Amino acid sequence: MKTLDYVIETSDLTKIYRSEGKEVIAVNHLNLKVESGTIFGLLGPNGAGKTTLIMMLTGLTLPTNGSARVLGYDIVKESLKIREKMGVMPEAFGFYDHLSAEQNLNYIANLNDIPKSERVKLIEEALVTVGLLEVKDRKVGSFSRGMKQRLGVAQALLKDPEALIFDEPTAGLDPEGARAFKDLVLDLNRKGKTIMLSTHLLFEVGPLCKSLAIIKDGKAVIQGNVNELIEKLMAEEGYRIKVEGKGSVGSFASTLTVVKDVKEIKLDGETIFIKAISDIRTEISEIASKNKFIVSTIQLEEPSLEDLFMKYYKKEVDA
Amino acid sequence: MANALTVASKEFSDIVKGKRFIALLTIFALVIAVALVSVYLNVIQTSGAMPRGFLGLAASTLVTTMSYFAPIMGIALGFDTISGEREKGTLKTVLAQPVYRDTVINGKFLGALLSVTLAIFTASLINIGGSIIALGITPTGADIIRIIIFILFTILFTMTFYGIAAFLSTATKRTTQSIIISVVLWATFTFIIPIIASLIASAIIPINFQFARNITRPPGGNITAISPEMQQLQQKMREQASIISAIESLTPNYHFTRIAQYILGVYTGISGTSIGGGLGREQVDVASTPIMQSLISAWPNILVLGVIMAITFIASYILFTRQEIR
Repeated sequence: MKTLDYVIETSDLTKIYRSEGKEVIAVNHLNLKVESGTIFGLLGPNGAGKTTLIMMLTGLTLPTNGSARVLGYDIVKESLKIREKMGVMPEAFGFYDHLSAEQNLNYIANLNDIPKSERVKLIEEALVTVGLLEVKDRKVGSFSRGMKQRLGVAQALLKDPEALIFDEPTAGLDPEGARAFKDLVLDLNRKGKTIMLSTHLLFEVGPLCKSLAIIKDGKAVIQGNVNELIEKLMAEEGYRIKVEGKGSVGSFASTLTVVKDVKEIKLDGETIFIKAISDIRTEISEIASKNKFIVSTIQLEEPSLEDLFMKYYKKEVDA
Repeated sequence: MANALTVASKEFSDIVKGKRFIALLTIFALVIAVALVSVYLNVIQTSGAMPRGFLGLAASTLVTTMSYFAPIMGIALGFDTISGEREKGTLKTVLAQPVYRDTVINGKFLGALLSVTLAIFTASLINIGGSIIALGITPTGADIIRIIIFILFTILFTMTFYGIAAFLSTATKRTTQSIIISVVLWATFTFIIPIIASLIASAIIPINFQFARNITRPPGGNITAISPEMQQLQQKMREQASIISAIESLTPNYHFTRIAQYILGVYTGISGTSIGGGLGREQVDVASTPIMQSLISAWPNILVLGVIMAITFIASYILFTRQEIR
């Protein structure tokens, strides 16, 4: 089987809804690339166009303009192939409350044409993965929100998909449920699954993502590898370095002003905070050595995902 | 096709195990039982003998109850077929699987058809069995064939209402909207249009009922030579009936009662009524009419029901396959 570089590739993908004579651009000339094997975060506030994008990627809604390929298949002409190979947990999905967890999964397995001989084993494996094996005979109507969410993951896993899309997977989950979900995602990714997480809850799943796109008004305001994006942010915003050590902190701080890339130095008790336009940790160590200042800590403080989100999202809003 | 059968078998299982279906069937069985007891008591109290044979008695209770039960059953099974799944989020779960949308709608129609067939056959068997046991009438071979043909057209009639309700369920956003419109349509077809038809007919062809009451039978009571006044009255009633029929032919109910009239020789007057309890309508003597001839006579009505069902199905199909999932 050919290994794809990108599981999802969109090109000027656009969706315009027409309602009561008005046009609403839900997705606006979106160009997105999701690498194979990654955990990709589709981040953005409610109404940003994330769900519409997922609906288009799975062939449930047709694009107005542009094109996209998922797992190498065209989203318009080959959507059935996509749904054969891609596990999807849509937002606000539901199960048949009068059926048990196992019966619901059996129906989904039937719809996926999974042979009877494999069905029992696959259903059991999926239920074990999400921790619902012991309640497989209970009616879904009696399940908590978290249990239904886990069953949603199980149905997406049934077909042993090459990639998975989870839309707002932790919405409504308690902290324990959210943590269990994160562990599950990491585990699935370790097994080689590409995972796209769409969420407005940055802090819940954002830290899992290896690459991401921030969506605003149907457009990607930024996208790429998380580390590279943070590097880029540091380059733009400056590197923040924290220095602690033994000796005269004040006089050592003043010696650092000669370093070319230093923009700002602040003293806070025995700690020096430096803002620079490059990573100057080597230069700091050399100066400390020359000045007999014993450095106990020299730490580059990386911007957080929140800093990244706020910087690019806010920039877009301000614009 | 395997997937359509998957959807159909789940739909069938959900329907027949559902409280709604069981409740409807129970109510229907009770209605039939009451109708049969009432016919039995009536026969015992009056003549003590069966005056019109199997089709005259058993079939009239069957046609009357089916005239109400079939549309209610169709609406009850169809009003939430799509909107209910949309509201519960199960539609998204199903469509996220490798299935075409037409598979889903085909499966739903097929599942409903199987459930309706089961319900109508069960109800008819209760009625026929009850008639044989309670009234002591034995159907002839021709009676049985006619009853089976009638059951098939009752299924068509039920599926016509299912089609209407399923279309509304696809077109409306909420189940409550779908059921309200379905019930309003049923009431319009069953009660409002017949009343309007009668009013229009009375306005166009007025009959002086004071005059009609004054027409007395000739001495001896045998009307061999009909008086000119009586002939005029009958002519007016026939004209009124044809106006009523023309208006009522807009409803599926009319076509169903016409089919019942041709196949079983039972005129229930369910859809029109009003004037003279069917006087002026074509009388059908099924005993002397070959079954094929009855079917040929009923053919236009069968065609209309089939066309309505096909239109609602195709409309639901087109709408559903083009709908945005959001």
